[in-house]
Amino acid sequence: MHPLDLTVVELHQAYVDKKFTPYEVIKASLERAKANKDNAFECLLETQALEQAKALIDVEVDNVFWGVPFAIKDNFSTKGIETTAGSNILKGYVPLYDATVYQTLINRHAICIGKTTLDELAMGGTGMSGHKGVQYNPYDSTHTRQVGGSSSGSAIVVAAGIVPFSLGSDTGDSVRKPASYAGLVGYKPTWGTISRYGLFPFAPSLDHVGFFTRSVEDAKHLMLALEGEDEHDATSRSLEKTFSLKTQPKLAVLKPVLESMNDQTILNAFYANLDALKAKGFTVDVIDFSKPLLEAIYPTYMTISCAEATSNNANLDGIKFGPSSWGQSYQDVMMTARTEGFSELIKRRFVIGSFVLMKENQDVLFLRAQKIRSMIVEALHHVYQSYDFIYLPAAPTIAPKFTDSSDRLSSTYLIADSHLALGNFAGLPSITLPFGFKDGMPFGVNLMGRAHEDLQVFYTANLIETTTQLRNVVSGDKR
Amino acid sequence: MKKVTKDVLKDASQRLMFSMTETQYDVLLDEFNILIQQMELIGKIEGVDNITPMTFPFAVTSDKLADDVVTPPLTQTEALANVKQHVEGQVKLPKVVG
Repeated sequence: MHPLDLTVVELHQAYVDKKFTPYEVIKASLERAKANKDNAFECLLETQALEQAKALIDVEVDNVFWGVPFAIKDNFSTKGIETTAGSNILKGYVPLYDATVYQTLINRHAICIGKTTLDELAMGGTGMSGHKGVQYNPYDSTHTRQVGGSSSGSAIVVAAGIVPFSLGSDTGDSVRKPASYAGLVGYKPTWGTISRYGLFPFAPSLDHVGFFTRSVEDAKHLMLALEGEDEHDATSRSLEKTFSLKTQPKLAVLKPVLESMNDQTILNAFYANLDALKAKGFTVDVIDFSKPLLEAIYPTYMTISCAEATSNNANLDGIKFGPSSWGQSYQDVMMTARTEGFSELIKRRFVIGSFVLMKENQDVLFLRAQKIRSMIVEALHHVYQSYDFIYLPAAPTIAPKFTDSSDRLSSTYLIADSHLALGNFAGLPSITLPFGFKDGMPFGVNLMGRAHEDLQVFYTANLIETTTQLRNVVSGDKR
Repeated sequence: MKKVTKDVLKDASQRLMFSMTETQYDVLLDEFNILIQQMELIGKIEGVDNITPMTFPFAVTSDKLADDVVTPPLTQTEALANVKQHVEGQVKLPKVVG
């Protein structure tokens, strides 16, 4: 077995058994990174990674991340390493400090081999809007299909067996949707349980640090390594660890979400999996949920996220951040920097954000979206009074082709393609797992638990993983 | 709600301190036509106006202060590392007043 086709835990065991050295593994990881054609990297950190690997001699038996290669989305601050968030406006920006999550992994002697591509400023779900161009799904050698976004590069590098885990960020579904399209485990924790210090803010009320792995076991290890209160992030808190785990949980399947899906292959696989889970002792009920509230997910998300993004990115002004093209006044500088630095997509999002915040619109758009968010979260809490999880297909289709277009007023678009944002609205722990294949392309399922019960999510996801038999899937293993 | 026109969008982009091409405004106007229909779904939900708006998933409270630890500040070289123009160790900015 190639060391990079192992999970984190398996690679660690291989280090303990002295089958490989970190230097050999990092060298192999860099070779795979250079050979990959899916446009996954903003930059490779070759010199730094090899030096760190050389320095690792004695394996730390209790530290599964020792010598393990990883990659990080380029919207996390990394001291001394250019960090652009996929935007021309940050070209040349070199942070003076490390994001807490990056520093934590470096302290654990994990080795970062590169920074990954993303949709510009993490706003987008296609992997098509970053300044380095389009990212491709590693399962599609014809380069006609998306890998999804915004954490597109981070999904590619794990699916393609370049690294066994990577970090991303998730504001609407930016880790969990690409995970579905790339056959990966994608996780976002309870809001606040992983520090966001050093993560470029998009919409702080919805932003989460997330990550990709190829097994639930690895995801749990990563969560335990990264969770905790951070004095640099006032919204951070430690993971709850004191509750009793349920071995036969109760799952709620939201009927309107299934009714909004058309892909029979995915639906049939899902129903078959429900039967398998029932056979394991799970209680599974298909329940009603307000369809109007589900149809409101997408417009609510767009309204809130664009409004927050408009405000958060006001500092990208060509003076504090961004390319300085000199002008007669600071307004000239700002106008030039922002006109040239932002892509059309980002400008459109900012205008939407500005529009919903206009005095005439605030009550009927922005404030109303915040109220709908409150109603949606209340409805979710009602479900969690009777059930431990909400369980659904993660996406209505396999990875779309670049040429595909959606009816943006259809239930499929508004509900089945948007429901993962429920986890961001309520800050719930949510995991996507590989679930099946269609035409050689993977699709995933999503499990969303109660807030602060992340450990229960891992426990149950692990049981589900045994029913799918899709653990440690690398894109070379096409089914 | 304010009617969405190209002039409204141009005004918004000017306030946001960037400009767009006429073609880009046309695309944006089309996007708004869909978005407004989607947002109308929000307005149809019964009882929405009596609800308390949600700004964050959970109440975030902190009752402790960070430890008062002395740490070295950035050096002048570090502080100027990302500055595009500087003179005699000072950040040079365009004229702001007058």
